[in-house]
Amino acid sequence: MANNKADAGKGRKPGGKPGGKPSVVKASKKASTTNRAFYLILGAIAVVGIAALAYVSTRPKDGVVANAVDSTLPPVQSSGYAMGNATAPIEVTEFGDFECPACGRFAVLTEPDIRKNLVETGKIRWRFIDYPLSMHKNTWQASRAAACADEQGKFWPFHDALYSTQDEWNGEVTNNPDKFMKQLGQKVGLNASQFNQCVDDKKTQAKIQAHLKLAERRQVSQTPTFVIGEKQFAGALTYDQFSKAVDDALAAAKATPKTGGDTAKNVPLTPAKKKG
Amino acid sequence: MTKRMWMVLISLLGLFLGTYLTLYKFGVIGTLACGVGSCERVQTSRWSVFLGLPVATWGIGFYVLMLALAIAGMQERFADSRRLSLAMMLLAGWGVVFTAWLNYLEGFVIHAWCEWCIGSATMVVILFALSVLDWRETRQPPADDITRA
Repeated sequence: MANNKADAGKGRKPGGKPGGKPSVVKASKKASTTNRAFYLILGAIAVVGIAALAYVSTRPKDGVVANAVDSTLPPVQSSGYAMGNATAPIEVTEFGDFECPACGRFAVLTEPDIRKNLVETGKIRWRFIDYPLSMHKNTWQASRAAACADEQGKFWPFHDALYSTQDEWNGEVTNNPDKFMKQLGQKVGLNASQFNQCVDDKKTQAKIQAHLKLAERRQVSQTPTFVIGEKQFAGALTYDQFSKAVDDALAAAKATPKTGGDTAKNVPLTPAKKKG
Repeated sequence: MTKRMWMVLISLLGLFLGTYLTLYKFGVIGTLACGVGSCERVQTSRWSVFLGLPVATWGIGFYVLMLALAIAGMQERFADSRRLSLAMMLLAGWGVVFTAWLNYLEGFVIHAWCEWCIGSATMVVILFALSVLDWRETRQPPADDITRA
């Protein structure tokens, strides 16, 4: 009964000999039905899978919502942390939280391309302002430590190190983030005693509070949020979305003379030095 | 349906899943659909890259190999091949070990779970179970031989 084995799971071609017994014919029909069902399911999975992948990779990104910056909002007073040419035609501000996974993903996956293609080429100046969310347990420690690193001119290396190690110091992993911050400071090459003292003294707390206040007053509701020209984008952007927003802002800036509205361009610029 | 047919179907599902996560990792997909768990925390952790490639891309390689073996296993000339059956079992076994390690990282190092990873882990375990059953069958003499005896 070769068909027994075919039915049991082997790839042996099912079916009986011509003119075989009725039971063999029955088994042959059963195997044929099984094969048909298999190919139907296989085809269905293939079609649905390909269609789903095509959809998710080509769909318009619903998360991209650009709101015009409210001109009644107070101007940005804090300098945050800037990178790039002070004379760049557009300044982009990110309100970010060091413990936010979406910010982490953006910093690790997208920001390197932005720095390479937009910041280093002088197209934009890039600014980061802390917006520590209350839901994240260790984000304040991270922001304070990053501000301490800034005192030694190493905000950006520390910023990058924080995001790439987010899974090692976030609130679900440790109750003593300062210890990790100090280790990270050493890895980044900071003066340990100066940095550790700054972390222990919470010396930069007021600065972070100012950044938080600023984000709240500008009605930032989630992280990351980007201010690109006259538009505010809530949520992470892909590089293509970001680049397009910059191009649009550049075109708008050329078309409209600067009138002093409340945009990211009004962020007081720190001296032209490039940090990190 | 035969075990190898099921293996083909599951491998194809896994292939799509791996492709989805790889597309995300390369920035083609904006955000991951993640109803429960913390997919982004897992996918952006430093453990999401293995030997320079995203873990999901290694997953694609695994499922492509498994798919190819299972399809080959459906051909008549490989129906009773013990070598092919053993290859499928070893591959699936390696998949289980690797997946167990990834799940350990999620639970004890990253402290976050990704539902897609759990889905893939489930498929790998099913593939392994099917491959073991398949291998056990190839060790037995054909049914018609037993009948003759």
